[in-house]
Amino acid sequence: MPDALALYDAMRANADAAYAAWRNPERPRIDVAIDQSSISNGALRTRAAIERVVSARNAAIDLGRVHGYGIQWLHPLVQVTFPDGATVLYGPVTPADAEAIVDEASGRWGAAASLRIGMVTGERDGVPSLRDHPFFALEPRERRLLRNLGLTDPESLEHYIARDGYRASARMLGRHSTEDQIRTVMNDAGLTGRGGANFPTGVKWNFLFGAAGEDHYLVCNADEGDPGAWVNRVVMEGDPHLLIEGMLIGAFGTRSKQGYIYLRDEYPLAIARMEQAIAQAEAAGLLGEDILGTGLTFRLRVIRGAGAYVCGEETGLLSSIQDSRGMPRVKPPFPAQRGVFDKPSNVNNVESYANAPLILMHGSDWYRQYGTERATGTKIFSFSGDIARVGFMELPFGVPLAKVLEVCGGMVGGELKAIQSGGPLGSLLPPQSLPKLILQGDSFSPWDAIMGGGGIVFCNDKTSVLVLAEMFAAFVEEESCGRCTTCHGGNQRQTEILRRIIDGRGRREDEPNLKLIDRTLQFSNCVHGQFSPKITRNLLQHFHADYEAALRGEDPSLTMAGLYRVVVTNQYDPALAEAVAICPVDAFRGPAGNRSVDDAACIRCGACIDVAPKAVGKQAKARTVALN
Amino acid sequence: MPLETESKVRLRALVAEFRPNNGDLLAALHRVQHEFGYLSAEAMEVIGDQLGLFPAHVYGAASYYEEFRFEPQAHTNIRWCSGPACRLRNGNGIRDALLASLGIGHMNGQTEDGRVGVILGQCNGACEVAPMVWLEQHESHTIEPVGNMSAARAVRMARALRDGATIEEATNA
Repeated sequence: MPDALALYDAMRANADAAYAAWRNPERPRIDVAIDQSSISNGALRTRAAIERVVSARNAAIDLGRVHGYGIQWLHPLVQVTFPDGATVLYGPVTPADAEAIVDEASGRWGAAASLRIGMVTGERDGVPSLRDHPFFALEPRERRLLRNLGLTDPESLEHYIARDGYRASARMLGRHSTEDQIRTVMNDAGLTGRGGANFPTGVKWNFLFGAAGEDHYLVCNADEGDPGAWVNRVVMEGDPHLLIEGMLIGAFGTRSKQGYIYLRDEYPLAIARMEQAIAQAEAAGLLGEDILGTGLTFRLRVIRGAGAYVCGEETGLLSSIQDSRGMPRVKPPFPAQRGVFDKPSNVNNVESYANAPLILMHGSDWYRQYGTERATGTKIFSFSGDIARVGFMELPFGVPLAKVLEVCGGMVGGELKAIQSGGPLGSLLPPQSLPKLILQGDSFSPWDAIMGGGGIVFCNDKTSVLVLAEMFAAFVEEESCGRCTTCHGGNQRQTEILRRIIDGRGRREDEPNLKLIDRTLQFSNCVHGQFSPKITRNLLQHFHADYEAALRGEDPSLTMAGLYRVVVTNQYDPALAEAVAICPVDAFRGPAGNRSVDDAACIRCGACIDVAPKAVGKQAKARTVALN
Repeated sequence: MPLETESKVRLRALVAEFRPNNGDLLAALHRVQHEFGYLSAEAMEVIGDQLGLFPAHVYGAASYYEEFRFEPQAHTNIRWCSGPACRLRNGNGIRDALLASLGIGHMNGQTEDGRVGVILGQCNGACEVAPMVWLEQHESHTIEPVGNMSAARAVRMARALRDGATIEEATNA
């Protein structure tokens, strides 16, 4: 029987050669970062423009693909790798910049100087190292989970292998470790669930290993539904084999033969890249039947979700896989007892699995070099909202959130008003929490808050916290599965009350009623119901002055629909005619020179203010019903 | 015995590879919707036959998910992002401007002539271009993300699409 490691080494030799040729190409290569974010920034148009220029000039240049680094505000990103292995990163590169990029790649050094961001590898005079960009100041010197981003083609198995991919699992399959050792090293490393629950991964794997029967299922929760979080997406689009290898390790450690990746429909590129990577791994003998000649089987398949947030709850997810409505059910039985098709199953987050190859490769001591005593290792975070630099980073646990805001370039458009973490079932934190928060779950607890899966949104003071709370309340109402009356009824009431307050018709009894709803929701069967009043609770706890002001009919942010009106501020501004024309509900009244806005007709969309900010504005409006 | 309708024959061919008790329902629903744009009552029957499920079970499951449609879709859908970064930049105003410009009373509705619809979208993490929408055409399977929206741009885009503009024209409107 051929040894698994020998088979791997043969594969590795080919991969090394292919990767070396990619790293030190015979002629320059232009790679465009293609990921969901860059596509939204027009990366496909940029790539097409570069292709046109290269082809029109018949230039001696190749074209390729990478994933972005996390500096999303600089998308579309383009990088040029020269034959000496030096790689220069440029951005934002629009189609109009295609000529300059091709010029610079062709040897006219300086043609795209103004677009340069930094050196990915190698050196060039006057170009700083990308690693020295302030955005990366808090990251470990060597990235771990994101180590291949920008340095490989995410659609290449060979690149992944050449960067030590599947090496740990090949050693494992070559019987250099036992099933028990696999689970022990995960426990020693202190790896916990990255979806937000923080349950020790190795312990979960122990549950499944010890479960009855032969049919064990390994499930990956890739239904990353928290708006503002795109941590799992980055792993799946940027390094899909890392997830596959992590699940392969989990399958070995738990004796699972079948795996599912439940992937949200909103991530089409992640779906495509995961499916392609699975096919590649199967073709190479790294997945499927008789893996690396060891006789072991692990079949893996992507299940494409269809837009149901609560399928991110593990029992909802399991139900969705087995042809039913994705409704969570009461636990116990836990998935390790009864999971997919009533067989013992284990559900972990994408990032939890993605850590496994790194831990197995380098050991638990190495893993613990980063992080804190209570939260070991690193985690990917995505930062968005009213900040100068939107993107994602891999950070050791324990980094102060205030430092994160600093490297994100600080707030734009106003002062910090609120920090939103953990998605719709998460939290709304006040500005005074910022100096005390570190990126570690329990640091959020004193604020009755959670850190969650890694999405953090910074909100400035042009936002009403009530409007924010209503947005999340409406989301959890819409996404309630409907099983528990507490949840579907309670969340409807919560949303209605918030909407009425925003409409300038709050009542004194709203606060006790919101608290009653909160208490009642605790009796829901799953976390969706139990956590759904958290943001509104945080509103009452940390933003009570804003809440009281809203009840009185005061809204300094001028965003609560019932507490401001749109008015003409300058009759003689020529842009006023444009404002009249853009109004989608024809709310302007009167002839030129004597225009006004019909408040009853106005829907407060703001289109008129967009086109004529000096002619139309917002004006506070007192509540029309007496507060009682 | 009545012959099968042509669409039923097409449906059967589409879902022929799927098996009962194999976690194939979502894939079957996606496959049919990709081809037809929506899921008809006939589709529930055919998928149910194939997977050994009652049509009511198939419909019950399908109707649970936001992304499955049960009526023919508008020629162009404007998918409005409901994520937090978009809301911080007047996302609600953009939504209301789209609906009002098209005379559509609610999310997931469409114009009477079926030309333009507005559907609910979720955050996919391109928040640096917030607020954003996606313009989608089922027939050509086109999805065009449009970032850095404003309410005024939403009005111009909606009016252009209503008047028959292409996606490219609407994006530049």
